[in-house]
Amino acid sequence: MERLISETGNLVERLLSLSLPDGGLPYYRGNGSSAEPTLLAVIGLSVSGAPAERVKPLLAWVQGLQNANGSVGVDPGHRDQGVWLTAQAAIVFHHYGIAENAKKALAFLLSLRSVTSAKDPKLRQDDTLTGWPWVPGTFGWVEPTAWSIIALSLSGLGGNPRAEEGTRFLLDRQIPSGGWNYGNPALGGKELLPFWDTTGLALVALRGYGDPKRVGVSLELMGKNQGKIESLSGLSWAVLCLDSYGRDSARAKGKLLSVMGSLRDEEFHAGNFALGLVALSGKKVFIP
Amino acid sequence: MKRREFLKSSVVLANAAAFGGRAGGAQQASVPCPVTLLSMPDYGRDMEKEIAAIMASDGLRLKGKKVLLKPNFVEAHPERPINTNPSVIASVAHACLRLGAAQVIVGEASGHRRDPWFSVLNPAFRSILDKKVRCVDLNHGDAVAVPNKGGLTGLPHFYLARPVAEADILISLPKMKTHHWVGVTLCLKNLFGVLPGIYYGWPKNLLHYRGIERSILDLARTVKVHYSIVDGVVGMEGDGPIMGKAKPVGALVLSPFPLAADSTAARMMGFDPRKILYLAQAGRFLPGLRQQDVVIRGERPARFASQFDCLDEFKGMRGGPFF
Repeated sequence: MERLISETGNLVERLLSLSLPDGGLPYYRGNGSSAEPTLLAVIGLSVSGAPAERVKPLLAWVQGLQNANGSVGVDPGHRDQGVWLTAQAAIVFHHYGIAENAKKALAFLLSLRSVTSAKDPKLRQDDTLTGWPWVPGTFGWVEPTAWSIIALSLSGLGGNPRAEEGTRFLLDRQIPSGGWNYGNPALGGKELLPFWDTTGLALVALRGYGDPKRVGVSLELMGKNQGKIESLSGLSWAVLCLDSYGRDSARAKGKLLSVMGSLRDEEFHAGNFALGLVALSGKKVFIP
Repeated sequence: MKRREFLKSSVVLANAAAFGGRAGGAQQASVPCPVTLLSMPDYGRDMEKEIAAIMASDGLRLKGKKVLLKPNFVEAHPERPINTNPSVIASVAHACLRLGAAQVIVGEASGHRRDPWFSVLNPAFRSILDKKVRCVDLNHGDAVAVPNKGGLTGLPHFYLARPVAEADILISLPKMKTHHWVGVTLCLKNLFGVLPGIYYGWPKNLLHYRGIERSILDLARTVKVHYSIVDGVVGMEGDGPIMGKAKPVGALVLSPFPLAADSTAARMMGFDPRKILYLAQAGRFLPGLRQQDVVIRGERPARFASQFDCLDEFKGMRGGPFF
């Protein structure tokens, strides 16, 4: 814990060192400001005790990125692209009590639906369920669906039929032996491998919804394997999901701190790093 | 990706009119396309010198150029040969430096894995590269909208990862694999990985939804591939590109003509490229589909001729013997 406290200040400074004159943050040094690293940095910096005046420019940049229809896209040059990011924006607006922006973002999210199709007996998934897509007009996938459920749940809309169906969507996409990948539990009758990041994210999104037994196998998988995970993103999500369920995350947290302290510039992904700050803080900002 | 999408897409694409005719239609004028087969029995050998010599003899001028190597890192599995092998990538990267490239970047927008640790930012992979070689996660970062020169997908433009748009030379480094939606995945299919996931998602479902074959063809018209090297040292047969089995072939396939590399690799796998819809259609605007246009150099192709196992629906694409 002492090590964590002493290092958090350095980690915060390192993240802020990527700040750009327009107020936003890029994914990697040398790129322009992007919505996701900026949004996650707003949360990561806030929970790490960064002074409000240092978070304010990032928040203003994000607010400026919101479109008239409530959506938030990749960056100012591509405002209509990557609008799944609206879910992350809604989370930030919720935590900062920016009611008007949050309301518009949630309205857009509720209007954004994935394409569905009739059940295919050859597939181990129910394509009649509506989730959230990466790109409007395409199928639903685990990550945008999970972020959208988190956004709705935090805002008191966890009982909305869209959130409830999204929850069923995520449960349906769970790999039978545990975990989630991008969103296909099996292909050609063979189970696919789970990913640590999407497994953690889906578990966080499902916290408090549905029968806990239905995610037990995934939670066990994450708990058992937390010491084997090596990536910044995977470790962050391991800590976030285990903490959300009151499970021991000490091994993953220790490793996460080491990884964050030793990243080289070229592998410094600001969004994942900000997520790491959220995980290290122990604050449960993604569950109601 | 979903089988239903594929079936829907295939029905449309099977209609010859959708493409203005199948392989029997107008083809590229005959152009001699050199393809070199380089024996590489296993991944333990450094092929830098040999690859540099072949690229130079093919007229690839890299001095002072910014070179982007595009391997295939779609997914990670400890036991399956899904991705371009790191030793092949390293050999090519170092060959580019040897030929005087000013910058060598290894970039990939992994199709399934968002976490760059499982792709080009993996520390073990980076540790075998010369310090001058940069690795770039193309999924996250700036993108440049370029007009779609194909028009089959209806997409007005593609968002290319900026390092791709700014590269002087693009070298495609795919794995030799079967593909459960389109038959085979080689240099042209590998172009999906120049598009950032942040715009297209994981997987790039927009491209699947618009038709995988249409998307490959649009990208092949839009993105210039200057050189191609197929990793056929150990390929994947059966239910590729993720769930198949290892198939050792023991060769690299090198060519300045991506379709010639693809059609030759397909023949080495036991498939007739004229029966693989997107390759056949690419033959309408790229040289290298017809076997008589391919000038094989290096090893004798018969040495590497294989029969890759495939899903039932692709058995009709088989052909040969070609060599």
